[in-house]
Amino acid sequence: MAENKIKDFVAPAGTCVPWQVKKEEFGQLAGNEEIVKQEWEKLDGLAYAFIWFWVQR
Amino acid sequence: MNEKEKLYQERFKRYTTALDCGKPDKVPVVLPLGEWVVKYTDTTLQEAYYYVNKATEIIAGVVGDLDFDAMFGALNLWWPPMHEALGCKQYRFPGFYFEANEGFQYNEEEYMTADDYDDFIANPTKWLTEKYLPRINEEFAEPGSYRASVALVKGAAAFAMHNANNAAAGQKLAQECGIVPAISGMTKAPFDTLGDALRGTKGILLDLRRRPDKVLAACEAIVPHNVAYGMITSAGDTSLPCFAPLHKGAYPFLRRDHWEKFYWPTWKAVIENLWATGKRTLFYAEGDWTPYLDKIAELPDKSIVFCIDLTDAKKAKEFLGGRFCLYGGVPTTMLTYGTPQEVKDCVKQAIDELGSDGGFVLTAGGVAMSDAKRENIVAMLEAAREYGVY
Repeated sequence: MAENKIKDFVAPAGTCVPWQVKKEEFGQLAGNEEIVKQEWEKLDGLAYAFIWFWVQR
Repeated sequence: MNEKEKLYQERFKRYTTALDCGKPDKVPVVLPLGEWVVKYTDTTLQEAYYYVNKATEIIAGVVGDLDFDAMFGALNLWWPPMHEALGCKQYRFPGFYFEANEGFQYNEEEYMTADDYDDFIANPTKWLTEKYLPRINEEFAEPGSYRASVALVKGAAAFAMHNANNAAAGQKLAQECGIVPAISGMTKAPFDTLGDALRGTKGILLDLRRRPDKVLAACEAIVPHNVAYGMITSAGDTSLPCFAPLHKGAYPFLRRDHWEKFYWPTWKAVIENLWATGKRTLFYAEGDWTPYLDKIAELPDKSIVFCIDLTDAKKAKEFLGGRFCLYGGVPTTMLTYGTPQEVKDCVKQAIDELGSDGGFVLTAGGVAMSDAKRENIVAMLEAAREYGVY
């Protein structure tokens, strides 16, 4: 991933790095994009829960 | 379907019928699990906190001879090894900072300063990641360093491990004991998120006078996150309510005009947004919420399950009954300081006042702590069965 592709963004609630942002960095995918998207979002949601866990006591 | 599966389905139906304001065959009763259970075993609190499997064994042993419908709470709210991997300053656990049978403590600080408001409001998740996590976790003192990177790997792995262990424990208790969980997922009122873990109690009280607009803006920024957090931690389930422990909204922590301005609008927004997805909230109103019942009644029908601890039960019934399931009825203080007969009398009164036409779940009005007495918990469950048949 080239450094100049990383953009600043405000992550919507429920996400850390939203798929729309990551998709631009990935560029064209050769296979089924939906599979990549679904699994990206699952792991992103887990990361989000981990970060917010610390303030939801 | 085996006997335990049948029992689970029967309990689940009874419980969810009441949550939906219906009238099941009996008043559902919820076992308030907590550290109190460990006192009656040969296990220390430290073991229960550190060994998840041990905690599950204890629960299975305790519930075997008790008759109830759903279970709320845990022996161990947190898994200390995850906190230790990160050098977390927030909690003090038994067997590490305290003797092996002492309860945990929260170490409240202003982990977010007054100068942080604008950055937090602009991008909450980024601010938490870059500023908050390094402040509460000593291992993150030098982000990017070997120690910080290893700690992040260990912390995230521990989080995933603990979630998986909890899910497996829940499945085991459901399959082997027919236990229905009382909740799925967790959320909070934005004011509590801000006041409990970020600004701290002293910080947020000063902010109400010195920077009220920042408090409002921060609470508004937290709303979508508390909705998302509730949905993510529920893993898509909408059959059970999302647990919402409410702290600084109880009377008389805030005066009425402050409560209406700072606490209620954003908390209401979280509830309404969750309800728009079909997710009901367990409005865990520990303490007294009587002065706010008129505002709580503004919520959409059935969007909450209202927990009664010290709130006036008759007024709760008057304002909320029929439109929202009422939950609780036995003050947590009574489980510690009362006698079995007093608990029994309280259960009878609660069922008479709150449960006569359905839409009521009998249980403790708050988290049963380590000093709750087993004989009082048993008296509560038995009295619920004795008086709670429709």
